[in-house]
Amino acid sequence: MIKSVVSKEYQELQKQIVQLQEHWKQTIDPETIRPSIDQAAIAAGVPIVSLTAIDFDISLFLQWIEELNVTLITNNPELEPNLAAVRSVLTDETVIRWIEEAYSFNQTYFEKFSEEHGLEQWIPPFLAETALRPYLQLTAEKTQHAISHAMPGAGCPVCGEPVRLAVLEAEGKKVVHCPRCHAHWNGRRLECSHCGNTDHEKIHFLTIEGDPVSQIQVCGECNGYIKIIDTRQYIEKPSAALMDLNSIHLDYVAQEQGYSSVGEKKQTN
Amino acid sequence: MTKYMKYVDVTKCDGCRACMVACKNWNDLPADPQDFQGSVQSHPKVSADTWNVMQYIEHENGKGDLEYLFRHSACFHCTDAACEKVCPENAISYTKYGTVVIDHDKCVGCGYCVQNCPFEVISLKEYVDKNGDKYRKSQKCTMCTDRLEEGLQPACVTTCHTGSLEFGEETAMLKKAEQRVQEIKGRFPNAQVYNPQGVGGTHTIYVLAEKPSVYGLPENPKVPTSAVVWKDYAQPIGKMMLGATTMALVGAFVTNNIISRKNKDQDGGQGHE
Repeated sequence: MIKSVVSKEYQELQKQIVQLQEHWKQTIDPETIRPSIDQAAIAAGVPIVSLTAIDFDISLFLQWIEELNVTLITNNPELEPNLAAVRSVLTDETVIRWIEEAYSFNQTYFEKFSEEHGLEQWIPPFLAETALRPYLQLTAEKTQHAISHAMPGAGCPVCGEPVRLAVLEAEGKKVVHCPRCHAHWNGRRLECSHCGNTDHEKIHFLTIEGDPVSQIQVCGECNGYIKIIDTRQYIEKPSAALMDLNSIHLDYVAQEQGYSSVGEKKQTN
Repeated sequence: MTKYMKYVDVTKCDGCRACMVACKNWNDLPADPQDFQGSVQSHPKVSADTWNVMQYIEHENGKGDLEYLFRHSACFHCTDAACEKVCPENAISYTKYGTVVIDHDKCVGCGYCVQNCPFEVISLKEYVDKNGDKYRKSQKCTMCTDRLEEGLQPACVTTCHTGSLEFGEETAMLKKAEQRVQEIKGRFPNAQVYNPQGVGGTHTIYVLAEKPSVYGLPENPKVPTSAVVWKDYAQPIGKMMLGATTMALVGAFVTNNIISRKNKDQDGGQGHE
């Protein structure tokens, strides 16, 4: 997608971050990640990372945050004082806590942390999440061979991220991608990834006029949506993380239409 | 800028005509009904409203067998395009992708491009404006340049289900074509890559099962000499001559004025005396 609602500068910054993460991933010793693939647990919707032993290298993690800060400051020098403040509060213990909380998307913890240390709300979770991803991505890489499908509603089978992006590949195959850990798995063309609904009468597609590659699949059962990008039409295939960013207008459209990125079964009395 | 190329392997084509439909659909081209041609081929050749046509050829292969040959035909997007050379309005130009496109705001419908295209793939379309006056514009395949700008493949390529059409980086496509010819030589001894150098190579290359003439293609197409003379010599000289005439006119105006003023001065002078 060359046309995007996201500004060129922000796209460029995200590209740099994706490159950094790729580079960081290369520096992790693969032996420090020991996943245990338990098909029963996967079938129960337990993400693989929660059963994976990872020996985090705290000094490496701190170094990444430092490198990320440099990139952010180069792009926006005004961030310097804010990021310097983070540096001063980051101890080894905080880092361990950050990793744990980033794992489980504990927004409340990060909100409190920011408040306590007088930091801008977005900074701690952003840094923690960005630096955590290389570990998740390497875990996904090591376990990709064992993943062919996901349990509806359980999110990404590797990292648990709610499902929001799928691509259409050759022969029209729908492959769901996780923009967080880069794991991917097959999905039925007419199946809601959130609630497992396969009733074709209750699955609809929203399209944007003039956008030939994107559609939003919405579910009448759970009110959830996912974005589907037809990558067969691309000359060069974009990466999942950048595709997710550049298609953010679809999230707005879906949410404005009352759909949610995490489906919920309607409660009836 | 990466140069791209459309690769057409006619030996993989099953003649489904989805490329024709995809083209009409994407480019919003109206239906172009035809009388029966005595063949399953729908249109005799490309036209202003039908930018690509599936050719169906029954060819006797010399061993007494008939081969049913298909070819997706559309603009070749020549590297040295005759249409670009002859256009007096500079309405035809090359894009950064190597495609050849017509600027309809500049086109005056003179038809020089239609007469000079070695592949006969440009056509004139007649329009009627709001005053009821008729005007014409050239039309042809754009290689979906509007899609390329979005990072998307041409519509025909996207829809092709046999893998007969592909779109990619120039050198990769050329290599693919050479390899494919080697693979099919056993069945089609005359198989060859069609990327005519007489027009500097094209941005649509073919793997043909037979000699180009079997498909009604010129064996060695060239940019017509008249086109070269026109664009490279006549047009610039024409502009120079326009310059010369303008200079002469300006010159004449200035000299005339000075002379007449002198005359006036002289007259005046005489009056005083």
